[in-house]
Amino acid sequence: MNTKNNKIAAIPAEVPQQVAAHNAGDISLHASKLSLALEGKNILRNISFSLPAQGINILIGPSGAGKSTLLRCLNLLHTDWCGELRIMGHHARCWPEGEDGLRRTIGLIAQKPTLFPCSIQQNIVFGLSRTERNHMPENRIEKVLKQAALWDEVKNRLHDQAATLSVGQQQRLCIARALMLSPKMLLLDEPTASLDPRSRQFIEASLLELAQNMPVLCVTHDIEQAKRLGGQIIFMCEGRLIESGDSKSFFKHPNRIESREFLQWSVCDCS
Amino acid sequence: MMTERCAKTLITMLALPALLLPAACLLYILFKGIPALDWAMLSGSSQASAFGSITALWPQITGSLLLMLGACLLAAPVALGGTLFYALIANVTQRKALLGIMHLLVGIPPVVYGLCGLIVLVHMLHWGISLLTGMVILAVIILPMLLMNSVNAIERIPGGKTEAARALGLSNGQLIRRVWLPAAWPGLMTGLLLGMARALSETAPILFTATVFSGVAWPDSLFSPVTSLQTHIFYLAQEGANAGAVDIAWASAVILIILVTVLSFGASALRNIRMDG
Amino acid sequence: MLNLWMRTSALISLIVVVLMLGFLLQQSWPYWQHDGLSPLLSGDWYPYEHLFGLAAAIIGSFWAALIALAIAIPTGLAAAVMSTEILSGPWRSLMRSGMELLAGIPSVVYGLLGLWILLPFLQSNLHLLTGHNLLAAGLLLSIMVLPTIMVMTQDALCEVSIHQRDTAASLGMGWSTRLWRVLLPQAWPGIRSGILLALGRALGETMAVMLVVGSMDRIPDPWYNLLAPAQTLTSRIGREIGESAFGSMHFSALMACGLLLALITITISMLAHIRTDKVKT
Repeated sequence: MNTKNNKIAAIPAEVPQQVAAHNAGDISLHASKLSLALEGKNILRNISFSLPAQGINILIGPSGAGKSTLLRCLNLLHTDWCGELRIMGHHARCWPEGEDGLRRTIGLIAQKPTLFPCSIQQNIVFGLSRTERNHMPENRIEKVLKQAALWDEVKNRLHDQAATLSVGQQQRLCIARALMLSPKMLLLDEPTASLDPRSRQFIEASLLELAQNMPVLCVTHDIEQAKRLGGQIIFMCEGRLIESGDSKSFFKHPNRIESREFLQWSVCDCS
Repeated sequence: MMTERCAKTLITMLALPALLLPAACLLYILFKGIPALDWAMLSGSSQASAFGSITALWPQITGSLLLMLGACLLAAPVALGGTLFYALIANVTQRKALLGIMHLLVGIPPVVYGLCGLIVLVHMLHWGISLLTGMVILAVIILPMLLMNSVNAIERIPGGKTEAARALGLSNGQLIRRVWLPAAWPGLMTGLLLGMARALSETAPILFTATVFSGVAWPDSLFSPVTSLQTHIFYLAQEGANAGAVDIAWASAVILIILVTVLSFGASALRNIRMDG
Repeated sequence: MLNLWMRTSALISLIVVVLMLGFLLQQSWPYWQHDGLSPLLSGDWYPYEHLFGLAAAIIGSFWAALIALAIAIPTGLAAAVMSTEILSGPWRSLMRSGMELLAGIPSVVYGLLGLWILLPFLQSNLHLLTGHNLLAAGLLLSIMVLPTIMVMTQDALCEVSIHQRDTAASLGMGWSTRLWRVLLPQAWPGIRSGILLALGRALGETMAVMLVVGSMDRIPDPWYNLLAPAQTLTSRIGREIGESAFGSMHFSALMACGLLLALITITISMLAHIRTDKVKT
């Protein structure tokens, strides 16, 4: 970690820690004034929001709003942002187990399922170290696959090449792989964007179930999906956080002009 | 964090020779060669002093360049023809076969080409140790390189371009002249320059088929032997007893490296054109 | 006309292969006929007594190539990893240019460097009578094949997609774990090709080896003694082809060396390219 980052993280050292201790029970992630510029372009500007300790959160907005980039920042795949990010009460940059430890705590599922060229089973345990793999309970894989709603389809072919799965199954396999690390939080980047309706349904169902135990932040630009999933809505546009709030009230009475425009256009898209 | 730093340090340590060697080799050659390289020596005005040190290197330079040019003139049309065959006529099996043959040819060490040249050209066709023999051998050596490079260059032309031209009813000849050559010439030239650099640096195959050590200023015909920089370095390098001779070897090495480097710089410059275009 | 030109050109390459192997076989035939395959096992090569055993040169060739690879593989891999995964921007292209420079130096110039730097160095540091030996040849070859391994590995590493890297990172794998479990396994086919091509080059390199290996036909004794003058297939051809009369048994034996060399290197380069061809179709 370079000194520049340390400096940024060090400025608000004292006060927020108390706040975090106070809120640790119900707030799992708190971002305040996150900004990111890449190649001179401001991708994220002053984003502040928090995620509760469980439940589903939808990050919605038009393409190019910076949603995926925000997810990558939360996971420290982008590290040159400034602002403050606290996860489970810790500064993200000063995570006790380092960047890699933080990424194990926060599962990130990309839009395009990316599998490693090995068998299904090897893919699932890919994130584990050798010792972890050896000391894994026997039914762990089954449990994780069931959580990802994939067990019935792959239980007889765990040793097949992962690439033989359909795209929808691959995406669920990615979720299972992230769950294998027992994350405390799940970030998903348009997990159903390129999937058929059936796979989408499977994934949405398992997301809702997972959200009962941990916070899930799901990026989408599909309004129907956002309505189905419910929970907290965070609306972003052009790198800014425009509006956030309860799903029902957001869709019924959007407060801001950008939100209204976005909802309107999307309705036109559907019809 | 700790393991990461250890791994990176270890890798850097292992990679250190790869970082230092290029600079070290080049600097040492320049350090040894440049003092020996003065223009009086190049132009031949100073007198030969000892055995082996023919002071003027011009015959060697021209010999090398002649061999190189001859090789390219022989190989380029065949490479281009082969490429067009690959792109226009060949079916999948033929394409595979052609590429397979090229990989095979690339794999054969140059000295084996020299042996074959010795059998067929020198002894069976009675060309003797001659310029033409050297040209043909070098041409065969650079042929696979040229051909694979130009196949790559042609394949990089977007398929849409070719289809559009076909849709306009262009014949093969027109397609090649008006679409492919304008789009692919930097790639083709890159290959040619790399081939030239290769032809300049090959030594073993012409050592016993095309060159003699001394006594030739300018070959009388295609069938007379030549001298070349590469083989000159080889002969002089072994004249351990004569310091002057080794100095001239270093000087020849500098000239050879300059020629090769100019060609490869040309090649990378052309490669950049292709990226921009 | 155009068609004729294209077809002839393609045919020429086929004819070259057939002719080359054919003539090598034809010229070395008397040799094989005379002794069968037994000379492959015999180390005695005395042209004046009509003893032409190939074992010494074959062992020499493989020893030199082995030393070269033993040094060049770790260095080349590390250099490639360093340039793609550690360095960035200008440093990376500087390193690449350095490698291209190294690859561009003609082999005879390496011979010159070896003869006048490496040999005196080995001679004085290892207290040898002469620096001419297999170790010198191997060291020199390692520099010459380093660019092949480094460039092929670099290309293979660059081909591993950004998605794979990101996914591995988001699974919380550290830098070294990612390298070990994602990057190197996925780049392995390319690395393997690079190593095989380097092996072929090391076996077939003539000028540099010829200048430093010493050209003495002895099987290393004991087998790991790399510090005595030795012989490789290529250096034998280079040294003796000028002295042998066309059509003599000596000439024929040298052609047998050439044929052997061609067959070995063809096999290696075919192995190296199996993967490349699969991708292209």
